[in-house]
Amino acid sequence: MYKGREGQWAFFLHRLSGVAILLYLILHTVSIGSTMLGEEVYGAVHKLYELMPFRLGLIGVAGAVAYHAFNGLRIVAMDFTSWGVKYQRQLWYAALVMAALFMLLTLYANLPRLFPDIFTYKTIWGR
Amino acid sequence: MQAVFKIHRFNPEKDKKPYWAEYTLEVDAKDRVLDVLHKIKWEIDGSLSFRRSCAHGICGSDAMLINGKNRLACKVLMMDLGGNTVTVEPIRGLSVEKDLIVDMTPFFESYEAVMPFFINDDAMPAREHLQSPEDREIYDASTKCILCACCTTSCPIFWVNGSYLGPAAIVQAHRFIFDSRDKGGAARLAMLNQNTGVWRCRTAYNCTEACPRDIPITDVIGQVKRAILYSNT
Repeated sequence: MYKGREGQWAFFLHRLSGVAILLYLILHTVSIGSTMLGEEVYGAVHKLYELMPFRLGLIGVAGAVAYHAFNGLRIVAMDFTSWGVKYQRQLWYAALVMAALFMLLTLYANLPRLFPDIFTYKTIWGR
Repeated sequence: MQAVFKIHRFNPEKDKKPYWAEYTLEVDAKDRVLDVLHKIKWEIDGSLSFRRSCAHGICGSDAMLINGKNRLACKVLMMDLGGNTVTVEPIRGLSVEKDLIVDMTPFFESYEAVMPFFINDDAMPAREHLQSPEDREIYDASTKCILCACCTTSCPIFWVNGSYLGPAAIVQAHRFIFDSRDKGGAARLAMLNQNTGVWRCRTAYNCTEACPRDIPITDVIGQVKRAILYSNT
């Protein structure tokens, strides 16, 4: 692996999160589209998402979306302004912190759904 | 001190695939990596091949991937590497001809593509084309490029897409685009507005980190991006 610094990792993570979001969107569209095949099929497909890997995966998707969004703002600043490039490292750390915060928030909001036996408080959706 | 040099070697006439050759030798902390390579070539294994010319950081011949980063072998001291084991590989994204020597043809084709020469067909002034120090300052950084290819071959986009002109060619274009005396700016910007041009830059900053001349390359590419962007609106 080439020993690049923050910029290289920002770029790799941006690509990776972009691909993750794309895969999620394809899965999402196909899942919703399964309603065309009837209620049972739709129900069966969505039952799958109750499995733990999918529940946890959703937290990852939330993190990927948040990272992609905040690093996207960093890229806008770098491409459209003359100061963006000078502060790219600080902007990246800020994007990472924001993404982590969003991920933790999603995790917190989903704890009762993930571990119903341990966390019984009501989620922000009242369930 | 003792140093172990692991060199990525390949001779297309003999080897089926590249391999790591290891050399253990006595070096001085103040030796440059190039001095050690010389020592290996002259005293241990004469078949080791690498490029170097001036050996003083100006000709740009000895760009190599040293301990995972692109650098000039003649500008890195052993004591700056922080360790006794040193890996040396050819720069990436260009085909290896032998050991540390790569085919620089695509690199120089990109360089030629941006018309790296002064264009001004106006009537010649009686004396020099004058320029204010402030106007000269605008493109000062990009005049320092020595075409060593450290930047272009550190770029992840260039590794996977050789049609990208690359940071070095854009730096060379920048040197003329922002020269107040030059009249070829529009043609160069049009060239860099193509899908092989500046928009391929995904701001990974490897070029800026790798440049042995400390040119703020990503910043320079950004200036060209904005020149295209704002000239079209």
